[in-house]
Amino acid sequence: MPFHPPDRSQVMLTVDGVRAVRRSPEGNDVTLLDGISFIACRARATVIIGPSGSGKSTLIRLLNRLDDPSAGSIFLDGRSILELDPLELRRRVAMVLQKPFMFEGTVLANLQRPFLYRTTEPPAADSPEVARAAELARLSSAMLARDARSLSGGEQQRVNLARALIGRPEVLLLDEPTSALDRPTTDQLAATLNDVCRAERLAIVMVTHDLRLAEHTADHLIYLEQGKIAEEGVGAEMLARPESAAFRQFLAGPAASKE
Amino acid sequence: METQHVVPMDLMQLGYAYGLILLSVGLARLRRIGQEKRLLWDSLRMVFQLLLVGYLLHLVFAARSPLPVLLMLVAMTGFSLQIAGTRIKKRMPKFYRVVGSSIIIGCGGVTCYFCLLVVGYTPWFDPRYLIPLAGMIIGNAMNGASLAAERLSAEMHDRREEIETAICLGANARQASEPAVRAAYSASLIPTMNTMAATGIVALPGMMTGQILSGTEPAVAVRYQIAIMCAITGAVAITSFLILLQGYRQYFSDAHQLKG
Repeated sequence: MPFHPPDRSQVMLTVDGVRAVRRSPEGNDVTLLDGISFIACRARATVIIGPSGSGKSTLIRLLNRLDDPSAGSIFLDGRSILELDPLELRRRVAMVLQKPFMFEGTVLANLQRPFLYRTTEPPAADSPEVARAAELARLSSAMLARDARSLSGGEQQRVNLARALIGRPEVLLLDEPTSALDRPTTDQLAATLNDVCRAERLAIVMVTHDLRLAEHTADHLIYLEQGKIAEEGVGAEMLARPESAAFRQFLAGPAASKE
Repeated sequence: METQHVVPMDLMQLGYAYGLILLSVGLARLRRIGQEKRLLWDSLRMVFQLLLVGYLLHLVFAARSPLPVLLMLVAMTGFSLQIAGTRIKKRMPKFYRVVGSSIIIGCGGVTCYFCLLVVGYTPWFDPRYLIPLAGMIIGNAMNGASLAAERLSAEMHDRREEIETAICLGANARQASEPAVRAAYSASLIPTMNTMAATGIVALPGMMTGQILSGTEPAVAVRYQIAIMCAITGAVAITSFLILLQGYRQYFSDAHQLKG
């Protein structure tokens, strides 16, 4: 069952025929991604799942131009991302990296960080921006004054999320956000992401090898294997009735963590 | 006065001095450290290199024209750049261009300022002043330069997560690499600061002792030493600053992407 956008106007991100080739240290060209095309819509979560080495992280890094593809195009709301100012693009397409890096200082200082990179005044602790981001990521106001580096992995990932959301992005990218988290924390994050996605009409694109997280969040599921889309569909249906042999094998195999 | 002249050193005296090297070789042999041959070879190299440089300086001094002096300075810069380049394990992209241009501007500027305005001797190319002063400035600046370049490379590598996090939050290349640049700049200045703090207490600086040996009033020698320390600090600070100013950009693409 292919994934159909609710309506063309809801399409936020279009990936069209993307290919990524990297030169290995031995000097050979290695194809990491080949012929990748998909769309991501407003208020929907697109989850890219696949074994390690399938090219998931390579793919998501192209969407906010941490890297550029060797061929193919990516469009944000109808415009090629190459035409946009890269700094502007990264404000509209926020990204949460795998390991939450906390800058020195309090949680509040971390939330204010994105504003330091612009000419705008950072919002104060009692400002509506901080309150909104903290609420979305379920950070209590007491947590704002704490030293960010002393927080647990799950708490840091929530700060990471709030920090990405404070600038009101249109697209949120997440690269393996639960790789360092236990199961209850992962479930909490899944619930948070679902709420944020609907409440903010955010287009979420998430890369994970965590089936449970995919199951709880994916509207649109993409299975990536060896740099190609092996199967794509509506999240719940695809997990219940996998069509390709490759995806069935992945679901049954040890690579898929069900924790 | 007799004390105003340096005691000449003939070959016989040099031979006595070299006896101390032979003594060192003997001690090394006694402890069987296996470095005797190297010690001997390196000492011969030192003798040969210094004799050669002495001869070259003799020619340059005798020429009484700016060209040989400038050529000598260019050669000194080239050699020290090459040594710095081979010593560093992980070189930044376009290392020679970045470090070379920074050394030329930083050391060239400070040397001109120092020789023309501070010391103010004539003619400006007088090798007796220009060569030792420029030599000390270049040598020290090169140390600072290689520390700055090496540390920047390490910081860019170690802080990859921090830099990419900042990029993801909308930082440009300069903002994202600021902590790395700051750490590299501080690393490049530390040896100069340590030297300044220890000067006169832990060690008597080479130039000052040299001047005293050749008959200069200690009070004058001290003033020269203070002035050259200032020049060295300025040269290190300017050169490292220029290296880092150009250096961090080498790690990013035009789209503020951290390369490789």
